[in-house]
Amino acid sequence: MSNTKGSAAIEVDAICKEFMLSHSGINSLKTMLAWWKKRKIEKLDVLKGVSFQVSRGECVAVVGRNGAGKSTLLSLIARVYKPTSGTVKVVGRVAPLLELGAGFHPDLTGLENIFFNGVILGLKRKEIQSKIEEIVAFSELDSHIDAPVRTYSSGMKARLGFSIAVNIDADVLLVDEVLAVGDYEFEQKCYRKIDEFRANGGTILFVSHHFASISRVADRCIYLKNGLIEADGPTAKILEMYKGLQSSEVVL
Amino acid sequence: MLSELRELWAYREMLATMVQRELKIRYKNSVLGFLWSLLNPLITVVVMTIVFEYIQQNQTPNLSAYILAAYLPYMFFQLCLLDSAQSVLNGLDLAKKIYFPREILPLTMVISNLIHFLLALLVFFGFLLVIYLLHPIIVPFQATTVFLPVLILINLALVTGLSLFVSALNTFYEDVKYIVSVLLYLLFFLSPIMYFSETVYNAPAVKRHPIIFFLYHLNPVATLSTAYRQVLLAPTQVISHGQTYPPLPFQWGLLGITTVVSFVILIGGYAFFNRVKWKFVERP
Repeated sequence: MSNTKGSAAIEVDAICKEFMLSHSGINSLKTMLAWWKKRKIEKLDVLKGVSFQVSRGECVAVVGRNGAGKSTLLSLIARVYKPTSGTVKVVGRVAPLLELGAGFHPDLTGLENIFFNGVILGLKRKEIQSKIEEIVAFSELDSHIDAPVRTYSSGMKARLGFSIAVNIDADVLLVDEVLAVGDYEFEQKCYRKIDEFRANGGTILFVSHHFASISRVADRCIYLKNGLIEADGPTAKILEMYKGLQSSEVVL
Repeated sequence: MLSELRELWAYREMLATMVQRELKIRYKNSVLGFLWSLLNPLITVVVMTIVFEYIQQNQTPNLSAYILAAYLPYMFFQLCLLDSAQSVLNGLDLAKKIYFPREILPLTMVISNLIHFLLALLVFFGFLLVIYLLHPIIVPFQATTVFLPVLILINLALVTGLSLFVSALNTFYEDVKYIVSVLLYLLFFLSPIMYFSETVYNAPAVKRHPIIFFLYHLNPVATLSTAYRQVLLAPTQVISHGQTYPPLPFQWGLLGITTVVSFVILIGGYAFFNRVKWKFVERP
């Protein structure tokens, strides 16, 4: 987080992504052996040329209806998918929270899972060791940290996942749906931590349907519709427009 | 391929942690724990020895040690392939959410099985020591044992290459793991594990057409099985069905071919895996 504010942290250039759809399991040996049977490969264009930039320290929310390509966009930035065409450039370490605690193993303890999650996010064990106290303290799970994660409630898992993600000094946070977790108290703590993260030059790109949390943290909104950017601008304006469009669609 | 190797190196701590996790989880809820991975081959060899010595009348001295010397590497080979066949599918949930070099998934299986294999070899040497204390004729440690790491390296190259192939293919075609288990079963009988390559060499058909002996050893597992035996144990006369066969010399030429084949498979497997690994998460 050394660069000055304002330089690009995420650069997405003319990105397209198409998926093969298959209703009968195109990838089974059975269909391959039965090659003489005419099979139809359906393709689905999820993203059709999306370009934008996110500056360092900016917090951008992506809104749009289900199936608009929001999650695919995030996955492309997280390098889970390879784009069909176009390029994605991210500066610094990315912490994708496509799902909080995605890498937790139920049989391992909270502490072991912190290490496991940390190394998947690209940290060295020594770095995790130096952050472990911070992570445990933030999650407020000190008394359970040596118990297997399968004994955790979903709220506890979410808290641990969030604590890991915000305490590993990532440059870019990618968040799908869950921004602040836990009860009211903990949620407020999450928001404070996010503000602190941004004040230190961290960048956030998140997908959400939750208008209150979008208004609370995002300075900018990207409205995605059918794989294209419909609008891109200040949060209040875009949310207003998005709400307006949705209600008119309902009337239609 | 070099950039992929660099990327893998950058993620070495993740690989190490995955291996640790795998070893921890595998026996976490069982009482005997790690002992299970030793009990299985030991029980098998005890039964085999009884069958061979008393029913098949194989009089080769110290037979169980010779069987074990080839059976432990085969177990390693088999478990690597079966475990890695499922590895990418099992790790798909994680792979859909986060980026990491996908080859970490099968490599975790190969390395954790390698660790089991090395521990099993330690037990094997303990077993030889016990036999030596009972019959002080068979010396437990041969000078040739210094070549053991070389054999393990060749074996590792072979099994890693095949594991990369199998794990990638099984992700798209789940029939692959069934095909693999059938092939492994056949391979077990087509390799000198429960019998000796001396017996093959002296079989009437092979005597008539010596080329069969060469073709038989094009199977890398066959060559490796005999090589393990020759490196770990003293040459022995094979006595079965009243026939005595002198020990064969070490087959350097065959091992050379196996080495080349193994490393070609390793490079080919990695290249193939890298070509398709982006498609794993898009599997419908």
